[in-house]
Amino acid sequence: MAKVNLGGVEIEIDEDGFIQDPNVWNEKVAEALASTEDVPNMTEEHWKVVKYLREYYLKYNIAPMIRKMCKDTQVDLKHMYELFPSGPAKGACKIAGLPKPTGCV
Amino acid sequence: MPQTAKNENIEKGNMQKQPSENVKNTEKKQKRNYPFFAIENPIEENRIPVFIKTMEAVLKDDKYRLLLDLYLNTCASCNSCADQCHLYQTTHEEKDLPAYRSNMLRAVYRKYFTTSGKLLGGFVGAKALKEDDIDNMIESFYRCTMCRRCAVECPMGVDNALITRIGRCVIGELNLAPKNFTVSSYQQLYGVGNTSSIPKEAFIDTLDFLQDEIKDMTGHSVEFPRDKVGAEYLFIAPVSDYIMEADTLMGTAMTLQAAGADWTIGTGYYDAINYGLFYSDTVTADALNKLLAEAYRLKVKKILIGECGHATKTAKLFVDVFGKHQFPIQNVMEYTAEAIKKGRVKLNPEVNQETVTYHDPCNLGRGLGIYEPPRNIVKAAVKHFVELQPNREKNYCCGGGGGSVTVPDMYNFRMNLAGIKKVEQIKASGAKYLAAPCANCKKQLKELVEYHKLPVTVVGVHDLLIRALLM
Repeated sequence: MAKVNLGGVEIEIDEDGFIQDPNVWNEKVAEALASTEDVPNMTEEHWKVVKYLREYYLKYNIAPMIRKMCKDTQVDLKHMYELFPSGPAKGACKIAGLPKPTGCV
Repeated sequence: MPQTAKNENIEKGNMQKQPSENVKNTEKKQKRNYPFFAIENPIEENRIPVFIKTMEAVLKDDKYRLLLDLYLNTCASCNSCADQCHLYQTTHEEKDLPAYRSNMLRAVYRKYFTTSGKLLGGFVGAKALKEDDIDNMIESFYRCTMCRRCAVECPMGVDNALITRIGRCVIGELNLAPKNFTVSSYQQLYGVGNTSSIPKEAFIDTLDFLQDEIKDMTGHSVEFPRDKVGAEYLFIAPVSDYIMEADTLMGTAMTLQAAGADWTIGTGYYDAINYGLFYSDTVTADALNKLLAEAYRLKVKKILIGECGHATKTAKLFVDVFGKHQFPIQNVMEYTAEAIKKGRVKLNPEVNQETVTYHDPCNLGRGLGIYEPPRNIVKAAVKHFVELQPNREKNYCCGGGGGSVTVPDMYNFRMNLAGIKKVEQIKASGAKYLAAPCANCKKQLKELVEYHKLPVTVVGVHDLLIRALLM
């Protein structure tokens, strides 16, 4: 497993760039991860989605259903893809420090 | 023949060198490279003897013995499969010829398991297995999406997709399978309990959300019943739908309620996905038995599988073979089509005015012959229906079959090679909506639409029923 410097910290990532230990996440790490996901600037809207994902993950140990994410953050799916070009399940989750989704996601 | 004898000696020489080469590799702790996709803990030593031993066991297995003897002995090399393969039609590369791929396994079969091959070697197409051959098989067996379009037209009746599956199962014994298969199957069988790693509390939260969402969207109170002992149907979806496909699940629950179905979801086990179909009989059996155990626990009469091709095929075809319990297995396409036909579900197609087309998932269509039920549902739910050309048994794979849609490293392959025939078909249809009752196909088709900027929206079949249902 490769180690990279994200936001000043040496962090282990997998072959697709997802961090391995969700506990090492902080906002600096999120910003560093965002730059790997075609998100050059983390706007207020980006933070709203990322923090929502983070909160759901800490409660349920998984990302929420995409429809629920859109509804709870008031960001529709089309705009979600504008914010996170590789999609909510990949880009947004990666920036929020969630582990890589498994299965058919 | 002297020439053949010489070749034989060279081949034998290679075989004899093999163990010492392996020792050398071990001493240097040299790691192999797997450029096609990430692999978890591949076996690096004694690959050739393990391969041959595994193949020997497969050939003795009652399920495969007769078919393999037939398929591996029968290929006229006419290459009519080349005309059928969506991948070969796009790449025109030798390695994508179904017959070429099958010959990789056929050569080993002839060399080690037939008298003529042992005696005559290359003269009868037999070839000693080399380390490089195994590495080449990884890519070749996984570039095949196991769609079986070639099997429909083979004049000798050879099913190259079955040979691909056996090949994958054999190299699977060397742990040569995509990391996402092994990681997800581990979660399903020994970890969280499903391939998407959704814990039970999150699953229940999602069911509650879906109920609220139906109420918000349609005003109807629709229940996702849970753990109802003695229900007629246990409904089980590909678990990824609970992250990706809200509309499909809502449309299905609404349809079941409208039809008056006595159904339940099991919160003990809720994943119909079975990656074993793509690489391992052991995983196939274990995942299927978890599903059957949940049906047994809830004392249901039948199992109803959601919009997923491979899950339906695996359950229907293997329940007799591996099942510790026996249950009748139905796909939700069959259920809903029947409910419409009997008048238990009424639809108003006027609400769906846009043109809709239908994609036959390979595992539902060519795999199980479920061609008409989904069409009957779509035609009853929409005003304008057009067929993709070609369709039914001649339909093209979405390009993400055989599990490739779940392998992140294969994204470019799926977008630029395996999915190209599908893109052409979709463009030619002129449809605004493309309905596909399969989680695997939907993911691939949505990614294709996004990548190629196609003016079409991908939906599930039951998504179309949300507004059309008269409740």
